[in-house]
Amino acid sequence: MTETEQSTRARQEILSSIRGHLAASARFDAHAAQPATPQRGAQSNSTKNNHDGPVIELFQQALEAVSGHCSIVQNIDEAARNVQQIVDQRKARRVAVSDSTLVKGILKRLKTEAAFLDAPNQSELFECDLGITSAQWAIAETGTLVLEAERERHRLASLVPPVHVAMVEAGRIRRTMSEILELIKNTDIGLSRTVTFITGPSRTSDIELTLAIGVHGPGELHVIVIDEPAQPA
Amino acid sequence: MDHHSNESIKEPSGYGPPSAFDRNALKALGDEQLHSALRNLVVTFGERREAAISSVADWEGLRNEARAIKDETLAHLDSYLEEFANNAGSAGAHIHWARDGRKVSNIIVGLLQARSAKRVVKSKSMATEEIHLNAALEDVGIETVETDLGEWIIQLACETPSHIVVPAIHKSKKQIADLFVEKIGIEPTEDVAKLTSAARRVLRQRFAEADAGISGVNFGVAETGTILILENEGNIRLTTSLPKIHIAVMGIEKVIPRFADLDVFLKLLPRSGTGQQLTAYQSLITGTKKRPEDEGPEELHIILMDNGRSRMLAHPLTRQSLACIRCGACLNACPVYQQIGGHAYGSVYPGPIGAVITPQLIGISKATQLPYASSLCGACREVCPVKIDIPALLLHLRSEIVEGTASGSADEKGPVKRKFAERFAFRFYAFAWSRQRLYEWSAQIARLLQRAAVRQGRIGKVSGLAAKLAPPLRAWTAWRDAPPIAQRTFREQWRESQFK
Repeated sequence: MTETEQSTRARQEILSSIRGHLAASARFDAHAAQPATPQRGAQSNSTKNNHDGPVIELFQQALEAVSGHCSIVQNIDEAARNVQQIVDQRKARRVAVSDSTLVKGILKRLKTEAAFLDAPNQSELFECDLGITSAQWAIAETGTLVLEAERERHRLASLVPPVHVAMVEAGRIRRTMSEILELIKNTDIGLSRTVTFITGPSRTSDIELTLAIGVHGPGELHVIVIDEPAQPA
Repeated sequence: MDHHSNESIKEPSGYGPPSAFDRNALKALGDEQLHSALRNLVVTFGERREAAISSVADWEGLRNEARAIKDETLAHLDSYLEEFANNAGSAGAHIHWARDGRKVSNIIVGLLQARSAKRVVKSKSMATEEIHLNAALEDVGIETVETDLGEWIIQLACETPSHIVVPAIHKSKKQIADLFVEKIGIEPTEDVAKLTSAARRVLRQRFAEADAGISGVNFGVAETGTILILENEGNIRLTTSLPKIHIAVMGIEKVIPRFADLDVFLKLLPRSGTGQQLTAYQSLITGTKKRPEDEGPEELHIILMDNGRSRMLAHPLTRQSLACIRCGACLNACPVYQQIGGHAYGSVYPGPIGAVITPQLIGISKATQLPYASSLCGACREVCPVKIDIPALLLHLRSEIVEGTASGSADEKGPVKRKFAERFAFRFYAFAWSRQRLYEWSAQIARLLQRAAVRQGRIGKVSGLAAKLAPPLRAWTAWRDAPPIAQRTFREQWRESQFK
């Protein structure tokens, strides 16, 4: 029997086992409560910190609560100065970068001798001391960055280096997870094959439940929110 | 440290040989280091969970909603699974179906050998623990490295997880430090940050060399064919991003209908598991990359595993077991788990939920002790984010063990046949105690009979006096004293006070 035939047979066996056992349950189900239909969009969808305040501040608070750093700037020049500062402080030699327009705009404005790698091979990547990406969306309630793989090459630059710097436009921040799920499912190019949610730096409590930051992923996360004042008409 | 020392507890006598569970539990009760680890777990996770759920406006409503989604899914599991398989398949994932654990291992071994993969990195997955995948891979010479810090620690120590969420909770940092000194040659230190960075350094090398990555799945979305995996460390992102092939093992109960349903479970799972609003990372993976130059594996294989799950659908009560999202909250809340830890259960899934699903997965006759490893206090039901009625399930399983009925949750009959005498005694008892006169007479007779057994106002092993009840009632006094029947019943006292 070929692999495909085996899998097809297993599929049939499992599905008929499910149907058979569900049918056997029918006589007990009559006595038990019927499964309720989920009440969607009820009160339960909101959290208490869901106040009416500006989403940018809410995002900042939530991110800082999970040991992330957050700065709010007014334009890309200011954002670039922030990135410059982080690169200089870390004395970064190799920086892994994504290919988003926002990141390219930042890189043009940096004055540094560090090497920027937008498609590093594995050994180069493992030697990078900083990663720079943007984020397509952010969730204010939880301080979460949302990165869509089909918008930028974010997966490794945001993960492997010990420091991750991410840029996000203020207009891309939404209050809740449910808004974001709706948005990423229905973009013009559809749901990205990989979407990554990032909330603060990498962490573990596996040794005596003691918090340790930066186990496999970055130990530092800097988010720069670009909040451009509205242009006069 | 407390009253639970080995000396104060004797093995039960005259009531069958002690089981492996009894032996393990007795040993665990005398392990002071384990108790200090468990106290830390209970207090820390308890407080974090309380704080995290207080940030939700309507926690009850959220639990109800989650349970309703699970009930709806399980009632139509066949069609949601097919929808999931079709959508994940058209996004580029290879879908495999496996009836049992051995089939899962065979499929994975086949995939790896066909690609000459020798080194595998793995992220924490209870499904792969359940089927002992690592041993199967080792048998064919494939090196498997667990990359979750806790899982890696217990892999180095050649142990098994003692908790669903924090698998190395039973180990002290001193023990972990000694292990690292021995196995990876670090300088002795008990600094958790240093231990963690040593693990990062060693495991980075394993990630760099890996030919394949194996992960579990937290939720599979039927509507989009997406798998979602939660974590805090980043090892799952590395496992699913770096190697050329990603294999995900998914229990068939992990499917949920709609993408929007993720919102509910992403609110419940981190709060219940680790007391976080959200874990550090969620990876939402829908098939494989679109363009060859994109990042990520070239192949994604999703293995849909039954392994005893589909037969749990055969009764509304046992079906509830499949709603479990593996948060571990019931372990932390359980007074039995708090005393004996995870290893005493002798099974992959410990604690209250383990006592429920293990007998159903491996066959009830192989785990007859587990449904009794509970005081039925109901703390597990209180904390369960999907409101599984664990005490009712435990009673259901106990009745299957005693009655030998197979209401479909297990393929075999219960091992213990109720004896004729016992059946007669209970018939008589039901007859007598449902009639007032007979009930009152029987109490008067018992009061006369018990005089021979009462010492210092108790029946049992008081002051070493051998005043035990006759079998089978002795099973009760083998462990504890029994209070004698009062000299005057409440009804008698009531009557006297009325007519004074």
